[in-house]
Amino acid sequence: MLIRGGRVIDPATKTDAVMDLLITDGRIAERRPPEKGRGGAPAGARVLDAAGLWVCPGLVDMHVHLREPGQEHKETIESGTRAAAAGGFTSIACMPNTDPWNDSLSVTEYIVAEARRKGVVNVHPIGSVSKGGRGEELAEIGDMVHSGTVAVSDDGRPVGNSYLLRMALEYTKIFGIPVIDHCEDRTLSATGVMHEGYVSTVLGLEGIPAASEEIAVARDLAVAAMTKGRLHLAHLSTRGSLEKVRRAKEDGVVVTCEATPHHLVLTDQAVADADYDPNTKMNPPLRGEDDRQALLEGLRDGTIDAIASDHAPHHADEKLVEFDDAPFGVIGLETTVPLIMDRCVRAGVLTPARFVELLSLGPARILGIKKGTLEVGADADVTVIDPGLVRKVDVSQFQSKSRNCPFHGFSLSGWPVATVVGGRVVHELQPAATR
Amino acid sequence: MSATIEGGRLQTAGRKAAAGGTRAAARRPAPARRTEETGPARVQAPAAEPRAETPLVSLKHRHLLGMQGLSSEEIEVILDTARSFAEVSTRTVKKVPTLRGKTVVNFFMEPSTRTRSSFEIAEKRLSADTLNFSLSQSSVVKGESLLDTARNLEAMAPDMIVIRHKASGAPHFLARHCRSNIINAGDGWHEHPTQALLDAFTIRGKKGRLKGLRVAIIGDLMHSRVLRSNIFLLKTMGADVVVCGPPTLTPVELERLGVQVTFRIDEAVEGADVIMMLRIQRERQKGGAFPTTREYYNLFGLTVERARRAKPDVIILHPGPMNRGVEIDSAVADGPYSVILEQVTNGVAVRMAVLYLLAGGTPGGLAD
Repeated sequence: MLIRGGRVIDPATKTDAVMDLLITDGRIAERRPPEKGRGGAPAGARVLDAAGLWVCPGLVDMHVHLREPGQEHKETIESGTRAAAAGGFTSIACMPNTDPWNDSLSVTEYIVAEARRKGVVNVHPIGSVSKGGRGEELAEIGDMVHSGTVAVSDDGRPVGNSYLLRMALEYTKIFGIPVIDHCEDRTLSATGVMHEGYVSTVLGLEGIPAASEEIAVARDLAVAAMTKGRLHLAHLSTRGSLEKVRRAKEDGVVVTCEATPHHLVLTDQAVADADYDPNTKMNPPLRGEDDRQALLEGLRDGTIDAIASDHAPHHADEKLVEFDDAPFGVIGLETTVPLIMDRCVRAGVLTPARFVELLSLGPARILGIKKGTLEVGADADVTVIDPGLVRKVDVSQFQSKSRNCPFHGFSLSGWPVATVVGGRVVHELQPAATR
Repeated sequence: MSATIEGGRLQTAGRKAAAGGTRAAARRPAPARRTEETGPARVQAPAAEPRAETPLVSLKHRHLLGMQGLSSEEIEVILDTARSFAEVSTRTVKKVPTLRGKTVVNFFMEPSTRTRSSFEIAEKRLSADTLNFSLSQSSVVKGESLLDTARNLEAMAPDMIVIRHKASGAPHFLARHCRSNIINAGDGWHEHPTQALLDAFTIRGKKGRLKGLRVAIIGDLMHSRVLRSNIFLLKTMGADVVVCGPPTLTPVELERLGVQVTFRIDEAVEGADVIMMLRIQRERQKGGAFPTTREYYNLFGLTVERARRAKPDVIILHPGPMNRGVEIDSAVADGPYSVILEQVTNGVAVRMAVLYLLAGGTPGGLAD
């Protein structure tokens, strides 16, 4: 396969130039100056004309909920990986809050095998820190790493016990994998449903204060400093959290963190504007404008290492209820790229290279997977983006089984148009759809 | 504006109402305002094109979801209309045919005595057909969702749904999914617009105005929908509002709504024209917001001595149900300045006005 004449953006090799990319046997075989005509393509090879398009190393979403096994009415490995492909992601890491919880070799092996059977992109399971995610004792992490786990996390449940977090950060040194924590002091967030601030006061909804996240961030950083383990903080949402991470990095603590597109684009005002639409309810909640600005600064200055969708599918019936009663979470695989392209790249917050770092190289490095680059010999995972394509988000067209998305109807510029995994095109936007 | 009811037909001083209506329309917020302002438009879509025969007074919106976003003109129209309906309740035959043939569903998913009976009496005095639907009798206890329950109610083609619900935003949810006019009869901690309207009607009846009055609102500020609706209404009408409660029961950034916040009751009561007490639910003590109801009373209870700091002609309101000896001394609740029972009486007139105005008052329904 030949991807011809695209702008190859590969920060791992400090490349940003128009070139042809030749793929053979599922790997990047050659990168060379662009040629005219069909010349240079091996006989019978498919040619993908990428003139005017960005050719990026396949994007990596390190925070996805695939819901399988156990909650197949929300999403399956098949539908979730199709959504990933449609959204330009070639590799995704899936969280362990399945049913049964992914705390064992057998569940990890099931996910890996099912992904091989039905998945269209690479799936990397994240195992549980503790048995059953109960936060009491360590799960058999060694077993899970042996069968493909790339990180551990108790996911939506924070590692509530500092001793267990210490054990996890120390024990994972054997395998060199990160511990991913959801930072939340549940005694403070209690039964809150949205960010605590002026909007929650006006709407009469119970608040989740920023401090509930920041307390947990501060504790996690202290434990990480003590253990020198590899800590990754999921979906940070407040200015205070980022300031703590920035300082810890300056002090040499081994920590990385991620931000989600919804926290980068929306604020708590969205809950009011949408008249209590539960598709604006997630945890951590949409924060204030000052927090959002702090996240954008964090993207620019490198405090944030990855953008991750926290794709959290819920069935329409589960979200068609009162705000208080709706589950937390929104889907994101199919809107992350256009949102970040439109609101961050086009808006001048991110350079193209930084975009690729945050969505490909950064998360690949955190997870320790050999992805995130287009150097010769690398897996031929490629995402082709049309930076000028303007489309409207239409949830009815999603590959995901779920529709819980607060961005329906948003007109965005910059969409993935082709997704290549191991040299095989797994998604291509039909020209009709680009009109 | 003067308004009277003759033979069930509402007559208003036409010129003024029409002028008011035009002003209100001119001030209708542009859609863009919703993003720059911090609050949502509490009221949904604007009313359908008014028919030629629509009475001179009417609201701009199909639903009454909250006081936020209502203009002073609209509030005045409701209060003026309520004054004419108050007279109906003093007649021997307390009934006008205004809403004959209209069906109103009272959908109460939370316990309520006052508000529900008040709405029901208002509907009956307007000759509407009413259906009461409460939590214990509904399929919600069998696990039916709010949406399915609402859709089933809708299938019976009611004209209006009056909803009381424990979840903030539940009326907005119905407004999104139903064709009927929705009236919020209290949603979670959010709003209770007809309570604020009846409070304003009561205050205006006693003081002749709302503008420039000093109103002290005291109690559990966090969980009070009565507080939020009253703040929106009173600020729109130009009153000065001071609110007072324990910091543990005061929502963040409340002062951004243009009210003074204090934790000392004496300061709040000082020079007040109106004192409005809010109910303290005893469960809040278990939630840790204050140590004992005894200490709450010592710090925030309205006693005769404290009430003396207010203006000599102060009036004292309470939305009910009262906890005597927790937030209010019986001597105050039953004393000469208390207008607590008048509030209940006025509630019927105000709700009649709201029902009438939202129904759009088709002439066929108004004829005797």
